[in-house]
Amino acid sequence: MRERQAELARAYAAALRGYLSGAGEAALMRAYQAGRDALTEDLGVLELATAHQQALVDVLGELPPKEHARAARSAAEFFAEALAPFEMSQRGLRGQLEEHERLERLKNEFISVVSHELRTPLTSIHGSLNLVVKGKAGELPPEARRFLEIAYRNSERVVRLVNEILDIQKLESGEIALDVRPVELAQLLADSIEANHAYAGGFDVRIALDGESPAVKVLADPDRLLQVLANLLCNAARFSPPGETVALRAVRLPGLVRVCVSDRGPGIPEEFRARIFQRFAQAAPSTPSGREGTGLGLSISKVIVERLGGRIGFESEVGRGTTFHFELPEWHEEAVPAGGTTR
Amino acid sequence: MAASPLRRVLLVEDDPDIRAIVCFALQSVGGLSVEVCASGSEAIAKAPRFLPQIVLLDVMMPGLDGPSTLRALRGLPQTAATPIVFMTAKVRPHEIEEYRRAGACDVILKPFEAAELPERMRGIWSRIHGEADREPT
Repeated sequence: MRERQAELARAYAAALRGYLSGAGEAALMRAYQAGRDALTEDLGVLELATAHQQALVDVLGELPPKEHARAARSAAEFFAEALAPFEMSQRGLRGQLEEHERLERLKNEFISVVSHELRTPLTSIHGSLNLVVKGKAGELPPEARRFLEIAYRNSERVVRLVNEILDIQKLESGEIALDVRPVELAQLLADSIEANHAYAGGFDVRIALDGESPAVKVLADPDRLLQVLANLLCNAARFSPPGETVALRAVRLPGLVRVCVSDRGPGIPEEFRARIFQRFAQAAPSTPSGREGTGLGLSISKVIVERLGGRIGFESEVGRGTTFHFELPEWHEEAVPAGGTTR
Repeated sequence: MAASPLRRVLLVEDDPDIRAIVCFALQSVGGLSVEVCASGSEAIAKAPRFLPQIVLLDVMMPGLDGPSTLRALRGLPQTAATPIVFMTAKVRPHEIEEYRRAGACDVILKPFEAAELPERMRGIWSRIHGEADREPT
């Protein structure tokens, strides 16, 4: 019983972390489902409340003291919402859950159909523009080329968007199994610079390693971690003034490694910060024309980092720049066997 | 033994726009000889005479779809062992796995960079023959 309650407290703590960093309804649903599972076993509402308390203590302990009051207020709302369904009848609960599951299935089917239906016309649009812009269909007058390049760049953006919508849905539903293994962090950071320097160069921005990377390994899916780094580095490059450098730095903390990506861009407006990891969240006025992202990169990065057992966050000062960071547990040979997958 | 270079591709695609783009890319950009088919049944009729070295086959088609066309081509002596590449807008991991299990040697996801298509096909062709060369005799 005690172990089950501790497990529930851990589940609540994970959901609360998600809620505090903007996951909203998804976090609430996770907390509600964890509570519902516990209630169907031996635990009662009293044990649920105790687990809530433990989760709150654990999560507050991870935050700097100046954030405690705000987090405690949000946690109170969170737990009130997560417990609310239990006030309804068991029949009502089942009905709600079945409805939620039905909507999830519909959403997944909708995403799948939309993705497929968009891909077919996009193949014609993007394929034609690709051939013309790459000069495979003959020479073009300069003005025509300029406008076709605009069309091509935007078709690339729609392709990215369609890919990322499906990607986030697959990651969240667990449809993608992560190929987790011990990864040399220094090599991975070097690879990420190599893979993204041309993109940054398009904005006249350099990416450079700040200091020597610690010789550590983390337990991660290397392709997915490169995807996180690509999102953070490309965002930083897009928001940097020309001629600036995006700094990539890794530091060792007790039991953890923290990777930071810093830019000297305009910073993130205060009112936008709470929503920054939400899907399609973009601080429009500070995004220079032609540098728009899809609005999904940070949401995808957050899902990946959390599925790898880590955390992602940022510090920003308006007018001075932004640093995004993520932390992953350091891997030691005796801790976990190499290889394997996680859902 | 090194494989002969890729020259003949059978393209099967029901969408006329995509057919035109892929045909242009393979023929005019890539210098390949392409036989174009708008359906699975047309492919089955043309393949024994054209003798393609590789087939580029759309998955979702009315009538015979990609996997059914693949099975029919496997039943013809002239194309029983011809490598078949699927191209598809259905890109979920379990769908791609299903196409590979059905016998596709590779899967090209839509949308793709048309100008790079000939090189991708040549890459697949080289890989298949590299693998074949490594197989024990």
